[in-house]
Amino acid sequence: MGSGTSRKRWATGPMWAVFLLFALFPYIPFIGKYLSLGTEVLIWSLFALGFNILLGYTGLSSFGHGAFFGIGAYAAGIYFLRVAQGVWGPLLLSVVAAGVFAALIGFLVAKKRGIYFALITIAISQVFYFIAFRWDEFTGGETGLSGIDRMPIGIPGLVQIKLAAPLTYYYFVLVVFAICTLLIWRIVHSPFGKVLQAIRENEVRASYLGYRTAAYKWGAFAISGLFSGLAGGLYTLLINSAFAGVLDWTQSGNVVMMTLLGGGTVNFFGPILGAAIFIVSRDLLSAYWESWMLIYGMIFVLVIVFIPSGILGLIGGRKQTILR
Amino acid sequence: MTELLSFTMNGLVLGLIFAVVALGFTLILGVMQVINFTHGVLFAFGAYFAFSMQKYVGFWMALILAPVLVGVVGLILERLVIHRTYGGNPLFGLLLTFGLATALEEVIRMVWGKTGYSVAAPKFAAGSLDLGFMIYSKYRLLLAVLAVIIILLVWLFLEKTPYGAIIKAGASDAEMVMALGKNLPRMRSFVFVVGSILAGVAGVIAAPIWSVRPTMGTAILMPAMVIVVLGGIGSFWGSILAGLIVGLSTSISVMFWARVSDIIPFVILAIVLLFRPRGLMGEKSVLEV
Repeated sequence: MGSGTSRKRWATGPMWAVFLLFALFPYIPFIGKYLSLGTEVLIWSLFALGFNILLGYTGLSSFGHGAFFGIGAYAAGIYFLRVAQGVWGPLLLSVVAAGVFAALIGFLVAKKRGIYFALITIAISQVFYFIAFRWDEFTGGETGLSGIDRMPIGIPGLVQIKLAAPLTYYYFVLVVFAICTLLIWRIVHSPFGKVLQAIRENEVRASYLGYRTAAYKWGAFAISGLFSGLAGGLYTLLINSAFAGVLDWTQSGNVVMMTLLGGGTVNFFGPILGAAIFIVSRDLLSAYWESWMLIYGMIFVLVIVFIPSGILGLIGGRKQTILR
Repeated sequence: MTELLSFTMNGLVLGLIFAVVALGFTLILGVMQVINFTHGVLFAFGAYFAFSMQKYVGFWMALILAPVLVGVVGLILERLVIHRTYGGNPLFGLLLTFGLATALEEVIRMVWGKTGYSVAAPKFAAGSLDLGFMIYSKYRLLLAVLAVIIILLVWLFLEKTPYGAIIKAGASDAEMVMALGKNLPRMRSFVFVVGSILAGVAGVIAAPIWSVRPTMGTAILMPAMVIVVLGGIGSFWGSILAGLIVGLSTSISVMFWARVSDIIPFVILAIVLLFRPRGLMGEKSVLEV
């Protein structure tokens, strides 16, 4: 965003570079074989990009966005197990369910500010956690939902793509990720996106200019919920299950962390970088040390204190951070 | 009927613990505008310190020493990092303390292990007491009395001492307080320590009726947040009232429809916020900008 160098409303050089890098990933020696990790990076990147519409572009500090990821994850599982097996159906329900809930919740919180906004988003996300945990018949309670296989997609009789193979699923997620990245880019560079940024900079001024800021914030909340839900649905298909852990509030913390770490508040691509670093280092740390959460928590603190504008904020662009 | 009575009593006791925890939380939130995620871990520290100490110093000494130790931990955290977040975006303090809480919870796992402990009630308060209309656990009664005493002490401190007046003034206009020559950084450290001690002391008295485990901190944080918003941020009596409401409604709903008991406080919160956006006793404040 604010870099000011790019006014294009469609894909730019850096974006193609990101897509190319991900497309080549499976063929990079040594690391390319970790396909499931790569898929997870893509999914969390999508989640963080969607979340960043709210945090980076609108300046709203939601600390309960894990709820929409979780709703998406459960929606996919429930559709698969109760309605019909498949890929498109579950993913569609992920988007719709998360979007509907985000629209409802967004309506409730759009007029809240600062601390109230943060506290209420936390509280709401926790409600979904308890629902997932307690409503056994529907969500599987503590054990969650399992057996959500990845079915083949394609045109019957013509082409069939077997998503069950990790490599094909990786590319499937990459395509979804690329389309969504383009959409999100388009949204934040549209007139609508400009108003969101105006709200971030000075909501009072934006409203004096005649914009109904609460409606814009509501829109940003709902749109970011849609993408978060889709990421959740993709995640369910990746791990073939959905359980209450995806609705844990630490998930909400993680997505904020990724977005800030990479520099989402100063650069469009920040959330992708943050998600990649976060997922990979979490994997490495947890493999070598049981108490990795200690390191994780401390890194979290150090990043927040010393590089609040994130890694891409160190390189250039808008130096401000929304944290201070 | 006796069943309902005992659930109500349990709810009151739970509510009083919630109220003490929420008081510390709302004090820090009201004065420093920091959503302090470490509050839950400090509650857990109180319980763990007391658990480790009681063998050597007994219940009453642990009741004093453990919260003081928690206060020291709070002071270190505040001076080391948390003070950096004052005056920033609420997300700043929230994230910073979220990271700290994650690390500290892991410290608990490393020091005391992953599994939980059960803490015995002190001998003089073991067993039950016949109240005439019901038979009730002696320790829970003691707990309720202690919680009420703590709440009254905090109230006396805030209302009847000059220091309390400065803190209340700092909560409504920090800059003005500083302009009047008060040492604001020191006052904030002090408030943070008081908040930490409240979390710690709640942990100590709750330990025998709680299961002492590493996640107990995150488990109490959520009710505390709900209570603070329900009561109105920064409101003393709001926190007490909301604490009791949450405690009672959770406990009584367990009796009628156990699976929704976790959600009841949120439902109450949602209904209250529809009619009173600042909570039951909240007032318009600087926090909304």
